[in-house]
Amino acid sequence: MKFKVDNGPHVKDSDNTSRIMNRLMIALIPIICFSVYKNVSIIYRMDISILEALKPLFMILIAIFTSVITEFLYSLFILKKNKKDLKEYMKHSYAIFPGLFLALVIPLNTPLLLVSLGAFIATLIGKMIFGGFGHNIFNPALTGALLVTTAYGSFISGTSNLFELDTIGSATPLANLANFNYVGTFEQIVGKFGSIFNYIFGTIPGTLGETNKFLILIAFIFLVATKVIKWRIPVFYISTVFVITYIVSLTNDIGIWYPLFHILSGGLLFGAVFMATDPVTSPITPMGQVLYGIGLGILTTILRFLTPYPEGVLTSILFMNMTVSLFDKIGLKIRNSFNKKLIYITIFILLVISTGFIINKNLNKDDSSVKILNVIKSEDSYVYEMSSKAWGVITANVTIKDGVVISVDIVNSSSETKWSHIVSNDYINKIINGQDNLDSLDAISGVTITSDGLKEMVKKVIEDYGDKYER
Amino acid sequence: MYSKIKLDDNKEISLKKELIDKSDITYVYIPLFNCGVECKCLVKKGKKVKKDTIIGIREDIDFPILSPVSGTVMGIEKRLYLNNSLVDCIKIKSDFKNKSETYNEVEDINNYSKSKYIELLKRFSITGMGGSDFPTFLKYKNKVRTLIVNAVECEPYITSDYELIMHKASEIVDAIYAIKVINNIDECYIVIKRKNKELYNVLKEYIDFYGNIKIVKVKDYYPAGYEREIVKNILNVNYDKYPSEKNIVVNNISTIYSIYKALKYNTSISKRIVTLSGEMFRTPVNLLLRIGTDMSSVLKRLDGYVRKTKVKLVSGGPMMGYSLEDDNLVVTKNLNCILVIRDIEEYDENPCLKCGRCIEVCPMKLSPVSIKENLSNPDELKKLDVNKCMECGLCSYICPAKIDLRSYVRAAKKEVNHK
Repeated sequence: MKFKVDNGPHVKDSDNTSRIMNRLMIALIPIICFSVYKNVSIIYRMDISILEALKPLFMILIAIFTSVITEFLYSLFILKKNKKDLKEYMKHSYAIFPGLFLALVIPLNTPLLLVSLGAFIATLIGKMIFGGFGHNIFNPALTGALLVTTAYGSFISGTSNLFELDTIGSATPLANLANFNYVGTFEQIVGKFGSIFNYIFGTIPGTLGETNKFLILIAFIFLVATKVIKWRIPVFYISTVFVITYIVSLTNDIGIWYPLFHILSGGLLFGAVFMATDPVTSPITPMGQVLYGIGLGILTTILRFLTPYPEGVLTSILFMNMTVSLFDKIGLKIRNSFNKKLIYITIFILLVISTGFIINKNLNKDDSSVKILNVIKSEDSYVYEMSSKAWGVITANVTIKDGVVISVDIVNSSSETKWSHIVSNDYINKIINGQDNLDSLDAISGVTITSDGLKEMVKKVIEDYGDKYER
Repeated sequence: MYSKIKLDDNKEISLKKELIDKSDITYVYIPLFNCGVECKCLVKKGKKVKKDTIIGIREDIDFPILSPVSGTVMGIEKRLYLNNSLVDCIKIKSDFKNKSETYNEVEDINNYSKSKYIELLKRFSITGMGGSDFPTFLKYKNKVRTLIVNAVECEPYITSDYELIMHKASEIVDAIYAIKVINNIDECYIVIKRKNKELYNVLKEYIDFYGNIKIVKVKDYYPAGYEREIVKNILNVNYDKYPSEKNIVVNNISTIYSIYKALKYNTSISKRIVTLSGEMFRTPVNLLLRIGTDMSSVLKRLDGYVRKTKVKLVSGGPMMGYSLEDDNLVVTKNLNCILVIRDIEEYDENPCLKCGRCIEVCPMKLSPVSIKENLSNPDELKKLDVNKCMECGLCSYICPAKIDLRSYVRAAKKEVNHK
C-alpha cells in the first residue's frame, strides 16, 4: 500500500492569501459606498447630470478595468502564459487592487482618461515590471497616482470649474492650511469646513477614499482583528504625526485641535491604514514596522510643513518603500536584544521631537497674510506688487499717488477666491472710494475672506507708503 | 514576545472509547536504530531469546537494544521506521510465555544509589518516549537539581500520555518521588495543560501523599510541550543545547512510567499506548501495542480507514509527524500516534506577501522568510541563527501563501552545518 509523502506539517492554517485579499476588499466596500453616496447627495442639491453625480463610481470602475486588462495583456503577451496558467495566474495576482486604490487616492476632478492612464501605470510600472504580485518594491497605486498627478497635474486643476470649487474639488483643508503658513486660528483652519463632525464623517473636500475617517477607523479595527494589516505601522505613523504637530501647536500656543486637525485632514489616515500597510511593500519584522511607522510620520510632517506640497502622505510612503529592506535589516539585527531595541527607539523618539522643533523654527511666523512683493516707482506714483493669502491667493498691483490709492489691478487670483463675486459687487471701486475708512466697509457676504484680504492689502499699502515715502 | 497559536486539538475523538489491548501478536520487529544511529545486531537466526535479552547494541555509547518478548529470532527484515525510512529490524517470533531474564519485584524503589539508577536506565534501554528516542541515562549523568515531567502533549490528536496518566497515575507519581530521592533533586514539576482538569485531579490525589511535587498548568498553545518552551515557561531559564547544562532534566511522562518499570520490576517497557486517530479514520482509539508490532497487521484487524478519498498516513502528530509511504510501520517506544488524514492535493504555493506572520509565530524568534531569501548565503544564515530552529512547523502552518518554510529552514540548517 503506497501513500503520498510530503514534508508536513499535515495541518495548515485555514487562512490564505485570497482570503486576506477578500477581507481587504470587505474593509474597502463601505468607504467606496460612502464616496459614491457623498458625491450623489451633494450633487443632488446642485442640479447636475447623473453622469457627473456618479463620477466616483466611474473612476473606480474604469481604474479597476484598466488594471485588470493591463495585467491580463501583460501576462498573455510578455510573460507568455498559456491558457491554463493564465487563469491560475490571474486568480492569484489580485489585479484589481492597484486600480482600485488609485481611484481612491487621486483627486476627484481628474479626467477619466487620466484615471485610466494612472491605473495602467500603476499596474505596469508599479507592479508588473517588478515581477508581479509579491515582488514589487513600490506601492503600485501610489506609483500611478504620483506619476499622473505630477506629469499631468495641469489637466487636473485645469478642469476645475465653479461647481467643483464649491463642492468636493475645492481647496482641501490642507491646501487651506498651507495658505495660512501652517498656523492659524481654529476659525481660519478648521472652521471653514465645518465642525469636527464634518471631519470625522467625511463631508469635507478630499479624494474618494480619504475623507470619511470614521469608516477608515472601523476598517482599521476590522483589518487588525482579522490579521490583514500590520497594526504597528499605522499606529506609530499617526502617533508620530500627532507628537510632531502637538509640539508645533504647543510652541505656537494653539489648542489640541491642531494636531487632531493634522490627523483628520488629508489622506493621512487612509494612507496609514491602507497604503503604508500594503504587506508587500512594508517591513516584515515587528521592530522594523515600528521604526518604519515613525519614519513615515517624520517624513510626512516634513513634507507637509517645509515643502510646497501640503499633502505629503503619498510621497512619503513611496519614499519609505525604498527603505523597507533597511528597516528589516535593523529589525532582524535588534530582534533579540532589549537594549538594542531601546537604543533605536530612543534615537527615533529624539528624531521625532527634534523634527517638531525644526519644523517650528522653519515655519514662516509672519502671521500677516498680506505681503509686499515689490515696489516700483513710476513717475509720480508707486506701484505696489501685493499678495494676499486668505481663502486662496490674490496678487495685485496697487498704485498709490500722494498717499491715495488710485487703482487696484488684480494680476492673478486663485480659483478659491470666488473672484466673480468681487467683480459683480464692484467691490474694488468701493474699496478705493472708501479707503479713508476701510474698517467701516462691510465685506461681501459669501466671500468675506477674500474681501477682507483685499481690504488688508490696501491698508498695508497706505501704511507702508506713509512710513517710507511721505515726508 | 511572539503570538501563541492554539491549534484545533481534536483530542476528544480518540478519548471516547476505552483503551483497547492489541498486544497479543506473534511477530515483533525491533529496529537496529537509536536516535539516528544504526546499531549492531548481537543475535543470530534461530536463537532463543527471553524478554529483556540484549539483542543489539548501539556501540558509541554502549546502549543495549532489548527483546520485548520471549521467543525465537527469525532473522532480519526491513520495516518502516517512524521517520519514513526503511531500517533493518530483528524479527522475533513470540512464544507467548513472556519469560523474562531479569524480572524481580523490588519492595522499596527509593532505595537505589544514583550509580545503580543510571545502570538500570541503561540496562533496560530507557529512552525518551515523547518522540526523541534519546537515551535517558545520559540526562542523569550530571547533577540534577530540577526534574520536569512533561505531560503537555501539545500536538493535536495525540492522547496517549493522557490515557497513560488516567490508568497509571499512582505508579508515575511513585516513580517521580523515587527519582527525586535517588538523585537528590530539589524541585519536581509535572506540567500539564490547564484545560486538562481530569489529569490534574487524578495526579493531585497521589501527589498530596508525597508533597514536594508541584503540578504546573500551562496555557493551551502549540508548542507548549517543547522542552525549551517548558523550561522557559516554568523556570524562566534559557539553555544552549540541552537542559542538563543548567542541571535540569525534562522527561516525558511515558518515560517516567518506563523508569518505574525498571525500578520496580527490573524490566523494560514492552508495550506502549499509541493513539490511532485522524479525520479519515473510522474509529479513533487508543491502543495498547507491543513494541515491535507491525502496524499493517493491526490496521487490518481494526476497522481500517476510509479509502474513498486520498489519505495520508502520518506517524506522530500532525505538526511534527512524518508522512509515511507505506503502512508497515513498526511500533517503537517513541511512537505515540498514527494519523490517517485527508490528503489535500497540493496547497498552491503563492508568492510571499510579506505579511510577517512566520516571524510573529516563531517560538525561537527566528525569521523564516529571511532565511528562505538568504538560502544560498551561509554567512547571512548564521547571523539568522538557523540552528536554533526546533522545527515545530508553525511557520509552514501559518503561512497564508502556503509556503513550506520549515523545509527551507531545514535546508538552511544543512547548508550552514555542511560548511
